[in-house]
Amino acid sequence: MIRSSMARWIVGAFGLLLVLGLLRFKPWQEEVVRPRQQLTVGFLPVTCHLTCPVTDFATKTSTSTRFQSQRFTDFPTVVEAIKGGRLEASFMIAPLAMKMREQGLPIKIVYLGHRDGSTVIVRKDIPARSLVDLRGKTFAIPSIYSNQYLVIRKLMEDQGVGADEIKFVQMAPPDMPAALAAKAIDAYFVGEPHAAKAELDGSGRVLYYAKDIWPHFISCVLVVHEKLIKEHPDVVRDLVRGIAESGEWAETHRLAAAKVASPYFRQDEKVVRYVLTQPKDRVSYRMLTPTDEDMLVIRDMAIKVGILKTPIAMSDLIDREFIPKDIRPADIDMAGAGK
Amino acid sequence: MNDKLLCLDDISHSFGGVEVIRRFSLDIEPGEFVAIVGPSGCGKTTILNILSGFVRPASGRVGCEGRARMVYQHDGLFPWLTVAENIALGLRHIGDPAERDRQAADLLELIRLRGFEGHYPHQLSGGMRQRVELARALAGDTDILLMDEPFSALDYLTRLRMRRELALMLEERPRTVVLVTHDIEEAAQLADRVIVLSDRPARIRCELRLDLARPRDLTHPEVVDGIHRLLFELGLEEDRSDVRGDVFVDA
Amino acid sequence: MTETKRTSGERVLPVAVVIGSLLLWWGLAAAHVFPESLFPDPLAVGKGVVEEVITGRLFNDLVASLFRVTAGFLLAVVLGIPLGLVLGSYGRARAALLPAVNFFRNLSPLAWIPFAILWFGIGDSPAVFLIFMASFFPIVLATVAAVATIPMVYFRVAHDYGLTGGEMLMRVTLPAIAPQVITVLRVTAGLAWVVVVAAEMIAGRDGLGFAIWDARNGLRIDLLVSGMIVIGLIGVVIDRLLFRLTRIPSVRWGYER
Ligand SMILES: Nc1ncnc2c1ncn2[C@@H]1O[C@H](COP(=O)(O)OP(=O)(O)OP(=O)(O)O)[C@@H](O)[C@H]1O
Ligand SMILES: [Mg+2]
Repeated sequence: MIRSSMARWIVGAFGLLLVLGLLRFKPWQEEVVRPRQQLTVGFLPVTCHLTCPVTDFATKTSTSTRFQSQRFTDFPTVVEAIKGGRLEASFMIAPLAMKMREQGLPIKIVYLGHRDGSTVIVRKDIPARSLVDLRGKTFAIPSIYSNQYLVIRKLMEDQGVGADEIKFVQMAPPDMPAALAAKAIDAYFVGEPHAAKAELDGSGRVLYYAKDIWPHFISCVLVVHEKLIKEHPDVVRDLVRGIAESGEWAETHRLAAAKVASPYFRQDEKVVRYVLTQPKDRVSYRMLTPTDEDMLVIRDMAIKVGILKTPIAMSDLIDREFIPKDIRPADIDMAGAGK
Repeated sequence: MNDKLLCLDDISHSFGGVEVIRRFSLDIEPGEFVAIVGPSGCGKTTILNILSGFVRPASGRVGCEGRARMVYQHDGLFPWLTVAENIALGLRHIGDPAERDRQAADLLELIRLRGFEGHYPHQLSGGMRQRVELARALAGDTDILLMDEPFSALDYLTRLRMRRELALMLEERPRTVVLVTHDIEEAAQLADRVIVLSDRPARIRCELRLDLARPRDLTHPEVVDGIHRLLFELGLEEDRSDVRGDVFVDA
Repeated sequence: MTETKRTSGERVLPVAVVIGSLLLWWGLAAAHVFPESLFPDPLAVGKGVVEEVITGRLFNDLVASLFRVTAGFLLAVVLGIPLGLVLGSYGRARAALLPAVNFFRNLSPLAWIPFAILWFGIGDSPAVFLIFMASFFPIVLATVAAVATIPMVYFRVAHDYGLTGGEMLMRVTLPAIAPQVITVLRVTAGLAWVVVVAAEMIAGRDGLGFAIWDARNGLRIDLLVSGMIVIGLIGVVIDRLLFRLTRIPSVRWGYER
């Protein structure tokens, strides 16, 4: 008795696994043969990384290297994936890229993700006009390794607000609008669309656009592993060109870009469209060459607030080798977009 | 069938510092029914364990030529097997399935549990469980039955009934039996020979022989007389002059 | 054994509780106590579920999560029960390994995420690994405890009736520990299902846990809630299913004494 009913359970359990495995891997679907080279590029569903899914979409049909965008939900996982050798290219926040380099991880910044595109939001019922009015308030940032944090610290200095006069908390960007609505925090600085969300909800208003604080603000960069640069420089070249041309296209086709990207982000197209158009210069995808000057500012601020220890050399960090001379808008066929 | 010998020769045993058995000897005739009574903790279970080979004595010789099965003080049925499956365990050596089924049916008949083949032990009463355990031990062709207070957990009436059934079952399937019990009535009603043990370390205080066919009535004069003798030997009753049966006081 | 007939009250009450909570939810949403986009009403969530079903994503996520949980959990069972048997039977092995097993049992499986990525990359295998880590150690410990508490008398009976080696294992040890092991399987299956949500935070493309994280990132609270509902329902189904293990006649004894 025990044998037969136990046996039935054992067979049932492994049968279930088999059925699930079949449903999952669908071995009856023949693998599409891809003669083309292929590279996976990591990104997070933030507007700063918009060019990544756009490039994915563009290379679906192109003949050059196929870039497969891989959505992540947080940066630590991205870092771990790169460390583990499972990911060779990704978008990430600039100070984090420096931190990885400082830790001896052989990565290079080859391009920028965007300019601007971050926003300081305050609660609607707080009549703040500058950081001075936010003394004693709680302020959320995505991470102390984020550029947003560095920039706010710089701005506090400029406005004469002491380092401990604002209470900083680190918080996952998607939680920020809810925390603001619940009045658990008073203000936050984050990449879009997490700022626009509070605006659309009616619980927050814009205090500063990034461009008001630091014109051509940089938060995210494109990093690639040196191994990839060494072994497949042509792929890296294709990638940077693809990202650059996608950026140029997104700059001029904002509504179409929202349509292409929102399924990749799995976000409401309305929100993405709002970020890309209200106002138009909330975020920009031009002038994406990482200059030593820009990066030095970030590096020095990072050292000042204590998240970096050594002044890493720009030549170790940046590789501008792959940036194309002339950038034309990508030729994107909108058939199949938005799905 | 039962022409084998069961014997303990000059056995001593102790657990840690506790001396349980000192220089103990016992011979059991084939087909004999021996009951062992004695105070709690004196070493009765230990003697059975030595007979079954489960405990190796510190010194002395154990002779056991024959296959022994034990009926345990506490529930020894496998709770995950049905009545029929538990009994079948005792018939494992029979190769022919038809023969096995026939014998299992016989045994169920013997313990009057027809219709309960598919029940699990936890669905039976205490007396029913003990009957199944007996049937399992009696199944097949073992020679020796070692029983450790098999009926002690049952109520008085069931105990009386079980004694009767054990006697009847042994009539059909004769075995050499060693029965450990606290129950003097039980010993007197069932055994050919009752061995009374002293306190720890166990020695044989006296033996009582009862030459009477089984099943015996509890009120049979010889049984009643045996009970009196045993109570007397245990210091629980005044001496009686009208003794019957042979009592040998151990030297 | 026989199910007592449920009174109508027993059947009506759970339904009433569900309807009541739905009404409360709907009322809170309708009163706009919280911003609408952060606290969607049941209708929006229902639309979200329908959207997920139509696009086929829900089925895809469901299969992905169930596959990972089943694989990780079965692996833990297949390796954990034998290890528990060995540790339960051999004092030396137990003395050597039990402290380590106890140590690992106390670690949240989520602490392993960096190593899961390092060793298994991204996709199914790190999630399977985390689910394995969540269920393996409790299963081992429960098996050890169950083996250690098998009454000696069963082994003696088995010996009296000539059961040895493999037969002893199959017909005595395993059935004797079955009730306790089944209990821990029910508990750890629930645990595994909880862990999948966290395990799927590791970059993947699918899975119910991923869908929840993704919905959160995508500012789609309606999809998040629909994911929560599906996860809760599947959890109930899994427990109901494993509950049937305790209905196997040969293990009933373990629950009725
Ligand atoms: N495994 C053991 N380890 C240590 N001591 C033991 C062990 N088994 C028995 N003893 C000791 O040996 C003595 C005799 O035990 P035994 O079980 O043989 O007594 P018993 O006559 O069967 O008692 P009862 O009538 O209460 O069942 C007891 O005092 C007990 O403390
Ligand atoms: Mg005893």
